[in-house]
Amino acid sequence: MLELRGVHLHGPRGDRLKNIDLIIKPGERVALIGSSGAGKSSLLAIANGSLLPDSGTVLWRGRSLNRRHHSQRQAIGTLWQDLCLVEELNVAQNVNAGALGKRSLLWALANLLAPIEINRCRECLEAVGLPANLARASLSELSGGQRQRVALARLLRQKPEIVLADEPLSSLDPPLAEAVLNLLLNNGIVLNNGIVLKNGLPSPISMPNTLLMSLHQTNLIDHFDRVIGLRSGQLVVDQSTDGLNQAALEWLYQPT
Amino acid sequence: MIRLRLNPTPPLLSLLPALALVVVLMEMVPGIHSGGLQSLIAFISAAFHPSMDPSVVSSAWRGLQITMATALLSWVVSTLIGVVLGLASATLIWQTFIGKSWPAILFRRLLAFPRAVHELLWGLLLLQMLGLSPWVAILAITIPYSALVARVLSDQLDSLGARPLIALRQSGARPIQALTTAIVPPMAPVLMSYCGYRLECALRGATLLGVFGLGGLGTDLQLTLQSLQFEQLWTALWMLAAVMVILEQLISWWRQRLRSSGAAPKELLVSVCLMLILGICSSIWLQSLDLDMASSIRWHQLPLPTVSELITAINELPWLQLIFNTLLLTVLAAGIAIGLPPLGMMLWPSQLGRSIQSLLWGFLRLIPTPLAALLLLLNCEPNLAVAALALGAHNLGVMGRLLKEALDQQSDSCYQALKASGAGDRVAWLYGSLSAQSPSYLAYAAYRADVMLRETAVVGMVGGAGLGWQLIESLSSFNWAQVYLLIGVYAMLTMFGEVLSDHCRQLWTGSKKKPVMALALQS
Amino acid sequence: MITRNPRWLLSLIVLFSSFFSSVATSLAEDVLRIGAIPDQNPERLNRLYSLLSTELSKELQIPVRYIAVTNYPAAVSAFRTNSLDLVWFGGLTGVQARLQKPGAKVLAQRDIDVNFRSVFIANTGSGIKQINSLNELSSLRGKRFTFGSESSTSGRLMPQYFLQEAGIKTTEFAGQAPGFSGSHDATLALVQSGSFEAGALNEQVWLSALQTGRADPQRVSLIWRTPAYADYHWLAQGNLDKRFGDGFTNRLKQALLSWDKKSKPQATILDLFGASRFIPALENQYKTIETIGRQLGKIQ
Repeated sequence: MLELRGVHLHGPRGDRLKNIDLIIKPGERVALIGSSGAGKSSLLAIANGSLLPDSGTVLWRGRSLNRRHHSQRQAIGTLWQDLCLVEELNVAQNVNAGALGKRSLLWALANLLAPIEINRCRECLEAVGLPANLARASLSELSGGQRQRVALARLLRQKPEIVLADEPLSSLDPPLAEAVLNLLLNNGIVLNNGIVLKNGLPSPISMPNTLLMSLHQTNLIDHFDRVIGLRSGQLVVDQSTDGLNQAALEWLYQPT
Repeated sequence: MIRLRLNPTPPLLSLLPALALVVVLMEMVPGIHSGGLQSLIAFISAAFHPSMDPSVVSSAWRGLQITMATALLSWVVSTLIGVVLGLASATLIWQTFIGKSWPAILFRRLLAFPRAVHELLWGLLLLQMLGLSPWVAILAITIPYSALVARVLSDQLDSLGARPLIALRQSGARPIQALTTAIVPPMAPVLMSYCGYRLECALRGATLLGVFGLGGLGTDLQLTLQSLQFEQLWTALWMLAAVMVILEQLISWWRQRLRSSGAAPKELLVSVCLMLILGICSSIWLQSLDLDMASSIRWHQLPLPTVSELITAINELPWLQLIFNTLLLTVLAAGIAIGLPPLGMMLWPSQLGRSIQSLLWGFLRLIPTPLAALLLLLNCEPNLAVAALALGAHNLGVMGRLLKEALDQQSDSCYQALKASGAGDRVAWLYGSLSAQSPSYLAYAAYRADVMLRETAVVGMVGGAGLGWQLIESLSSFNWAQVYLLIGVYAMLTMFGEVLSDHCRQLWTGSKKKPVMALALQS
Repeated sequence: MITRNPRWLLSLIVLFSSFFSSVATSLAEDVLRIGAIPDQNPERLNRLYSLLSTELSKELQIPVRYIAVTNYPAAVSAFRTNSLDLVWFGGLTGVQARLQKPGAKVLAQRDIDVNFRSVFIANTGSGIKQINSLNELSSLRGKRFTFGSESSTSGRLMPQYFLQEAGIKTTEFAGQAPGFSGSHDATLALVQSGSFEAGALNEQVWLSALQTGRADPQRVSLIWRTPAYADYHWLAQGNLDKRFGDGFTNRLKQALLSWDKKSKPQATILDLFGASRFIPALENQYKTIETIGRQLGKIQ
C-alpha cells in the first residue's frame, strides 16, 4: 500500500537516509525505532510527501506520490512530533482543519468565522476521549495531553487510510502514553481516569488499521506486528515482532 | 436549532478588511473614464526615460542627500533619546532602584502626547517656531519617534519580568550590575532589530515631510508632480527607489546577522558607537549641503489663540461631519491596505505570484500618496472612494512587505503539516501560515491605520472633506485656533484608536500582552 | 572594545571639531536670502532663482542666496520667522505675510500683475456654456469643480470670490465640496481629462498652455475671464536697511525695476517670469485682496 523505493536523502553532514526500501501492507502496524538523529523523522516526512527525497520514489497504492494529488495525501494521516496545531484557532476549528483537503476555500473561510460541522467535531473529540464541550475552548487552555488528543481528533476528521506517527509518546507520562498508543492502535478509548472502553462505543469514527509509528520505548514493541530499525540512515532491522531479537534492538541505540 | 456564534479568528480578521475594496470599487467604477489616458501613458513612458538634464539630476540628488541625512540624524537622535526615555518609563527600572513604580507611570503618561501627534503635524508646528531650518524636519521626526522607541522598549522591559533581577539582587549585586546582567542580553537583539526598522520609517517620514514642504527629495517629488513634469518626477522617483532598495537590503542583512550571531552586549556597544558616528557624519553632511545647522536656530513665539478665538473656532467647523468623513476615509483606506496583501498572497500563492506581488508592493511603496491620488483622479471622477484607494495604495505596499518578511521568518511546519494532510496551497497557507502571523500583523495594522488617519490631509485634491484637509486649509489661513483644535482632535482620535485596538485584541485573542513581533515592527 | 582603543575616541574628537569649525565659517557674513512661493516645477524655479541671485548679487555687491520653499504657507511662515529677506509672493500670501510681519515692504510687481486675471475653464463634454456675465456662473452649480492650491490667489481666492458674488456656495458643487488640485497645471489636466467638469486657474498659465499645446481646445475651453485684480509681488523685510546699510531697500527696489530685456541674463529672468519688466507696486493695490481674504476666512 505504501512503498518506499531506493529513497536517498542528503544532509548537511553526510547522508540522512541511505537507499531505503520499505513496503507497508494494509492492516500492518509497524514500529520504527532508532536513536535520535537516525533519520526516523526524515523517513516519515518523506513517506507523507512533505519532504522530497534526493533520489528514489514513494508509491501510494502503486502510484507515485504526487505533491499535487490531494486525494493521495488525504489518505496518509500524520501525527506530528510537535503536533502542528494552529494556536490562534479554537479546538473545533483545529479539528476541522483535518477536513481541509476535502472542502473548498469558502468552507475553510467559514470555519474561521465560526467552527462549522460542529457535530462531527464533537464525535471526533469524543472518540479520542475529550469532552465534547471542549469544542469551543481555545488551545491555550489545554494541557499537553489534551493537545495531543486534539491532534488525534484532527487526524480522525481527516479519515486517513494509514497513520504515520512521529514519536507521539515521547513527552507523555506512562498512563497517558498508553492511552494515546491505544487510540493509535485502534484498541478503544482510554479515558483520563484510566477506564478503558474496549472497542468503545459503536462509532463510525476510528483510526485506520495501518500504522507506522516511531518510538523509543522498546518495551511497547509487543503491540506492533513488525519492527523496522534505523541506524545512521540505514534500514538495518526489518522483522516481525514475533521472536524479536532484543540484542538487535539494543545495538540500534549504541553510539556509532 | 442551530446557534451560530460568530467568533472571527485572527486570520479571518486580517482578510476581512479587504471587503473595503468591494465598496470602493462599487463607488469608483461608474466614474472611470478614458479622458486621462494620455497623461497616464505619459507618466508610464516617462519611467523609461526620466529626465537626465544636469540641473534636474543635481536638484534631485541634493534633495535626496538632504532627505537621507535628515532621516539618518533624526534616527540616531531619536533612538538614543528613546532608549533613555524607555528606561525611565519602565516600571522594572524604578522598582529596582527606588522600589516604587509611579515615576515610570508618570513618564509613560507624559510620552503619550508626543506619540499621538504625527511627525507631519510636529513639522508644521515647528516650522512656526524655528523658521526654515533643517532642525524642523529633524525634530519633527525625533519627537514622536523617541516617544515610540521609549514605549516599545519599556513594554518589552516590563514583559521581561522581574525574576532574574530579583535573583541577582538577592545574591548581592548592586542595582546597576544587576540591571546590566539581567536586561542587556535579552533586550539587545529585540532593540537592535527594532532600530533597523526605525531607520526605514525615518526615511519614509523624511520624504513625507518634504512632500509637505519641509525640504528634501519629497519637495522635488511634490513640485514636479504639481507641474506634471513626469520625466523630472521619475528622476526623483528612481533615486528614491534605489535608496529604498539599498536600505531594505541592508536592514534585512543586518537582521539576518543578528539572528545568526545573536546580539552580544559587545555588539550593542559597537552599534551605539556606530550610531554616534553616523549621527555626526550626517550632521556634517547636512552642513556641507549648505544648510545652516547652527545659525538658523532662532526661537519664535508660537502664535497662541485667545479663548474667544478658540470658542469661535469650535463653533465655526462642522466637527461631527469632519470626524465622520475622516474616519470613513481611514476605514476604507485601512481596509484596502490591511486586507489586500494577505488576500493576494492567499489567492496567488505560486512562486511567480509572490514575485509579482512583491514587485507591485515595492512600486506602491515608492509612489507617494499625492501622486497616486492624481493618477487615479486623472482617470476617474472624484469621490471618497478614489481618495481611499489613493491613501490605501502606499500603505498597502508597506503592509505587504511587512507581512511577507514576517512570514519568511516564521517556521512553515504547520503549513507543511496541512499540505501533507491533503489541503490545497491556499487553505494550507491560510491556516498554517497566516494564522500564526495575523495577531502581530493586526497589531501593526492598527498602528498603520493611525498613520493613514493623519495622512488623510494628502488627498484633499479629491474634494476637501475631513480633518486632514481642514487642517491644511486652516494652516493656510493662519487660523491658529482651528489648527490647535484640529491637532487636539487628531491626538484624541489616535489615543482612542490605541485603546480600541488594545481592547479588540483582548476580545478576539484573549491575550493582554502585545505580540512581540508587533512591537518590534511598530513604526 | 571601544574603551580599550583610544583611536576611536580621537577620531570622534576630530569629527566633532570639524563639524563645529564648519558651522563657525558659515556664520561669518550676512547674506540676503531670497525665496518664492513654489508655483512652477523645481527645475525652472532653481534655474530662475539662481540666475536672479547672481544678478542681484552682482548689482548690490552682497552675497545672495536662494532658499527653496515648498508650499505657500511655509513661505509665509518663513517670512514671519525672518528666515527669508525677500520673497516673491502671490497676492494672498503677500498680504498674509505683511500682516504677520508689520514693517514689511512691498517693492515691485510684474507689468502683468497690475491687471491680473483668472480664467474659468470647462471640459467640452460637460455641456457647460460660455459665461457672459458674473451671474451666469450659477450654471456651475452641481458640477464637479476644482480650484488649484488652497492658498493661491488666482487659482482659488479670486475665483471663489466671484463665485460667491454670483451666489454660489462651495458646498453647492457636486460632492458638496470643490476639489483642490494643488496647482494650475493639475487643474488644467484634471478638467481636460473630464474628471472635473470645470475649474479655475491663472490666465498666464492658461495662455502658455494653449501656446505649447498642453491645452487641447477640442477637450477644454475657456468659459469666462474674471475682472482684473492685482496679484504677485516682491515683499521685503522691514529691517534690511539696518542690516545692509541705509537706503539698501531702495537700492534693491531700483535694481529690480531697472531690469530690461537688453541684458541677456536679465532678459532670461524676465522671460522665466513671463514679464517684460518689473514695475513699482503699492500696498493699497492689495487692499481688495485683503478684504476678500477676510471675507472668505483666508486672512484672520
